[in-house]
Amino acid sequence: MLDVKNLMVFYENALAVNDLNLDVKKGEIVGVFGSNSAGKTTLMNTVAGLTLHLKYRELRKGGQRITIVGQQIFEGEEISNLSPSDRVKKGIVLCRERHPVFRDLSVEENLQLGGFLIKDQSKVQESIDLVYSIFPPLTKLKTRKAGLCSGGEQEMIAIGMALVARPKLLLLDEPLLGLSPVMQAIVVQALKDIRSLEVTVLLTEQYARPIMPHIDRGFIIENGTLIMSGTQKELMDNPEVMSAYFGM
Amino acid sequence: MKAGYRKERIDRGIKARADDIFAISSYREILYLMGPRLLAVVGLLLFPLFKDITGAYWQTVGFIACIIALLTLSWNFLFSVGLVSLGQAFFFGIGAYFTGYFNHTCGLAPLFSIPLATVCGAVLCTILIFPVLRLRGIYFALITFALPLFLMRIIEATGYLGGTEGISGLQRLPSLTFSVYITVVLVLAVTFIFLRLFDTDYGLVLRAIHDNDMSVLAGGLSVQWYKAQAVFLAALPATFAGALMTHHYRVVGMPAFAVEYSLLPLTAAVVGGTGTFAGGVLGALILVPVSEMLRAFGTLRIVMYGMMLILFVVGLPEGIYRFGQRKYFQFERIVPLEEKEK
Repeated sequence: MLDVKNLMVFYENALAVNDLNLDVKKGEIVGVFGSNSAGKTTLMNTVAGLTLHLKYRELRKGGQRITIVGQQIFEGEEISNLSPSDRVKKGIVLCRERHPVFRDLSVEENLQLGGFLIKDQSKVQESIDLVYSIFPPLTKLKTRKAGLCSGGEQEMIAIGMALVARPKLLLLDEPLLGLSPVMQAIVVQALKDIRSLEVTVLLTEQYARPIMPHIDRGFIIENGTLIMSGTQKELMDNPEVMSAYFGM
Repeated sequence: MKAGYRKERIDRGIKARADDIFAISSYREILYLMGPRLLAVVGLLLFPLFKDITGAYWQTVGFIACIIALLTLSWNFLFSVGLVSLGQAFFFGIGAYFTGYFNHTCGLAPLFSIPLATVCGAVLCTILIFPVLRLRGIYFALITFALPLFLMRIIEATGYLGGTEGISGLQRLPSLTFSVYITVVLVLAVTFIFLRLFDTDYGLVLRAIHDNDMSVLAGGLSVQWYKAQAVFLAALPATFAGALMTHHYRVVGMPAFAVEYSLLPLTAAVVGGTGTFAGGVLGALILVPVSEMLRAFGTLRIVMYGMMLILFVVGLPEGIYRFGQRKYFQFERIVPLEEKEK
């Protein structure tokens, strides 16, 4: 479904993503693991088109020069030069890290905004109901301002917004960041439901343990370079991976 | 660009590690480093000597440009502490009225009335702005925009300080050349002092307030108090500019609070590059003469002026100064993409 070939991203002269090859097949949940500064977020932003947008913005104001090289292919189509909005229309939706929500809008309004691009209102409402069924805690919070929700609830809203946009490929950037184990369990549980919706998921995480049982394949990157990839079983059987990303 | 290559931007060899540490190994490099600064300093200092060539008209334009440059320095100082001011006229007018009062009512000579007005004006400005220092962004900007208009109407309504007629017949300054010189020297001195100040530990706190005032607060420092000090320091060049201009024209009136003294420094700062002291000065020295030259277009002048500003904001948001600095200290070359490691 998604094919990233020889992707290189430079921020000025710093190499953020180095010659990365990555593929995601339809219906899979794929994890990308790596420590801070490994290039996970850059990878996600590049696939979602945000890096391209940033590149033009920086160019205009004379800031740092961003260079993106390599191919990004989505459903057999080259998307490297598409704007973020075009990519969303094609079905690539990113849920950024640190649970970004519209703080002054209610939970319901936040979710409605996720479906802004969808013309058919009944479909949007259907999706919102679906989100409530995936994240039951949100049902009680419909009218609360998103800014007043806890970190875990905001993460649910953020993922919910991405889901309402009806993605084919959902990019989750560190969905468990800063969440308590209980909240993590809810989000991880939601991954199963998301899979049953036939949404393909590409997610990143620093700490692989809670999420590892639910992924099909994983990629491990360090300093922007892919150092290992394999199926869930292969990764879990590897002692180095276990010690570095499982804390065992 | 060819496949497999990218454009790289790197510092010239003269620059060692930091932005202000240089590795110098020859006179040529010293000249490279000092050249632009020397050009600016010597150029400004020599300008008043060419009165015969430029004529009194352009000397006066230079004088006004320097006054605006002082206001811009003040604006940039406030901006560096995270306060966006739309009311440089407030500082300017208060300095102007103070010197008018001292000279006219108390009979002080300009030699005393100008410095006294500068300090008293800055103190009064700080006191008046102190209650609204907690405001941020657009709210602070709006208040500063309103303050000069507010004072203007008070003077008009009460008739105090000369009312609508202002105070005229003030003592004159020795000559135009003297006025130009004193502003030129002050522009250079204030630029230098402000730049230095922002490199000290004290300046670090001020810059920190710009970046994240909550963290400064968490660090145990009183943001309010530091901001008040910053307003005082920033007010000094602006009140001085008002005081000097008053004695130069020998009259002070309500136009001292005019909106153009608020807007010109703002646009000069944008053209030069917000937050850069030298850039602001450069912006003022370019904008004022250009707006004089545009007088030939009559009413269209404002249109041309506006177009220029839009072009700058859209096309060069970093400002002339930063753009020039980048081009001067960095160069670009095409390099192959790094080979795969490991």
